[in-house]
Amino acid sequence: MYYFDHSATTPVHSDVLDLMHSIQKDVYGNPSSVHSQGRKARLLIETARKQVAKAIGTIPNQIIFTSGGTEANNQVFWSLLNQNNIHVVSDTIEHPAILKVLSEMETHGIDYDLVTVNKNGRISIADIESEIQENTGLISIMLANNEMGTIQPIKEIVALAHENNILVHSDAVQCMGKMPVDVNDLGVDYLSLSAHKFYGPKGIGILYFKNKDSLSSLMIGGGQEKGLRAGTENIASIAGMGLAAELVTNQLDHHIKELASFEAHFKSELKTIFPNAIFNGDANNKLPGLVCVSFPGYRSDILMAKLDRANLAVSSGSACGSGNVKPSRVLSEMGVDDETNISTLRFSFGASNTSEQVDLLLFELKTILTD
Amino acid sequence: MGHIAVGMSGGVDSAVAASILVEKGYDVEGLFMKNWEEDSEYCNAEEDYKDALQVCDTLGIPLRSVNFAKEYWERVFQNFLDEYRSGRTPNPDILCNTEIKFKEFLHYAQDLGADKIATGHYVRSKEVAGKVQLLKGLDPGKDQSYFLYGLNQEQICSALFPIGDLEKPNVRDRAEKLGFDIFDKKDSTGICFIGERDFKEFLQQYIPAQPGIIVTSSGTKVGDHDGLMYYTLGQRKGLGIGGGHGDGEGAWYVLDKDLENNELIVGQGHDHAGLYQKRLTASDLHWISGEAPNNENLKAKIRYRAQDAICRITELNNTEISIEFEEPRFAIAPGQSVVFYSENICLGGAIIDKAFN
Repeated sequence: MYYFDHSATTPVHSDVLDLMHSIQKDVYGNPSSVHSQGRKARLLIETARKQVAKAIGTIPNQIIFTSGGTEANNQVFWSLLNQNNIHVVSDTIEHPAILKVLSEMETHGIDYDLVTVNKNGRISIADIESEIQENTGLISIMLANNEMGTIQPIKEIVALAHENNILVHSDAVQCMGKMPVDVNDLGVDYLSLSAHKFYGPKGIGILYFKNKDSLSSLMIGGGQEKGLRAGTENIASIAGMGLAAELVTNQLDHHIKELASFEAHFKSELKTIFPNAIFNGDANNKLPGLVCVSFPGYRSDILMAKLDRANLAVSSGSACGSGNVKPSRVLSEMGVDDETNISTLRFSFGASNTSEQVDLLLFELKTILTD
Repeated sequence: MGHIAVGMSGGVDSAVAASILVEKGYDVEGLFMKNWEEDSEYCNAEEDYKDALQVCDTLGIPLRSVNFAKEYWERVFQNFLDEYRSGRTPNPDILCNTEIKFKEFLHYAQDLGADKIATGHYVRSKEVAGKVQLLKGLDPGKDQSYFLYGLNQEQICSALFPIGDLEKPNVRDRAEKLGFDIFDKKDSTGICFIGERDFKEFLQQYIPAQPGIIVTSSGTKVGDHDGLMYYTLGQRKGLGIGGGHGDGEGAWYVLDKDLENNELIVGQGHDHAGLYQKRLTASDLHWISGEAPNNENLKAKIRYRAQDAICRITELNNTEISIEFEEPRFAIAPGQSVVFYSENICLGGAIIDKAFN
């Protein structure tokens, strides 16, 4: 099987696997224990915290480990309940781990407004500005979108927000290993990451915060993670994530170059094979290696099934659980008509790919599209 | 071996159908079809999908899903409502087979590259002298050929019916042995989109009810009805005719509907002459072989659960047919299909318009 769905999740880096395996085998101590097993475990966690902190340009004190991006997002949002300024500005193309949380929180008295995006999926600063109210306490905008890779102008949003004493959260789960994620440079107050998107294990992520005072814990218990996330730590996964973060940032330039070259080659060949292909997203502001293509006249579910039969894994933005092949909400928000929408596939390249694999993908697509 | 797309409903029959094809070495993929948009306690596509997914995961085959709710609404459900508006008793499952499962679903499977589709119907097919025959399922209690009489040669040739020669208990046994969670899942009954819910309540959402009176064939009022569409010929339950009417003996049955006067005509006793007819006319005639049969060994069913009964064709053209049964039949209901058989072979059928003596 060749895998072109790295935006959904990534395979675990082999060094990370080895590390996790040895930890599961040898380090069974509880990090809260004072004996040597406990110290060993604690050391691993703090090493990982340093690795992740370094990877995103901050200090270890400003990171807690969570079960992933969803939990990190939830923690930022639910913490608003204890605050005075309970209006949130977000946007219509966020992940459900933002949008559904907001709609759920509405029943708890939180108020929010969503800004729309342009045809390339970009948010405008002016739109955000016009949604800011007196009691706006948080602006939450993803760093880059998972379906078409458009990168949002977070720095400008932060500048605007801070002028108005508003905190900024950014869901950055798509971005590690595809662009620099430097919290100081971005200026955000909160940032969510998930290890499985950057060759780490599933079920582990981080929440970065500039100031812990505004955060509350979702998990109440033993007081781990500075009292912000109770529960005995998932040591192997935390250590695995630390190493994955280090590996992916050390190799960032190389990764970006490789992803960009896969993307360029894939796009130019695809245009020859299928001249009607429409590339969605913002060509000037996008994650490399994530290609969102509409194939007018085709149905994404059929294309995907055929690629699956050829053992090639891709995905589509259209939700299709129990027979609900519905247009992707994100593409609809960008103004893509339903017909084009349901003809759209997402190819997301990654470190597990080679240029031979990309050629094989192109060959299969050619077979399917000219059948 | 060929590439087969199996229609997976989340039920035990299609699950075992898929397993048989996998055992035989076919390249099998599951295809879950959603034909009704509403998800409710009565019609839970999400649950059914999960059940189908568990089966496919156990078999190690992919499950894909497809939505024909729009096509179903336009081509099956609208017809269903029209028929009820005309006071008839339609059978949407028959139309679903010809319009959706063996048309839209088949085309979709072909688009996916499948050579054939397969379903969990209790029927069999057999090639005889260059033509395919649709045969009854081997389990007499489960035979579903009645619902498939509208298929043509091409549709039958494009389909496999892997459980047609199995009996239901055997199907459940296999499902249990294979580790399918749904091995003891209840059989679906009645019209799929109505499920277990109250039929009257369901129909009321779409067709305004016109209450009227219930009369005997001699014109005596014996009660009130909620709307003719809620009743079917031969119906006994739910008439609400109290004591003090009739001869005090025997239950009341629906004999006829007088649409013009909005009256429900009833009679007393299962043996009431008005409940039995020997003749009927039917339209939308279809022959599976493409040709009408002769009267030799001809039998017909007037509803799914009815016995096949000896009959002969009295009038026939390309779209309409009149037949006469040897013995009178109980409660022949317009809108239901009359389906013809010669022994185990399902020959075709038509939709009943009128029954008489």
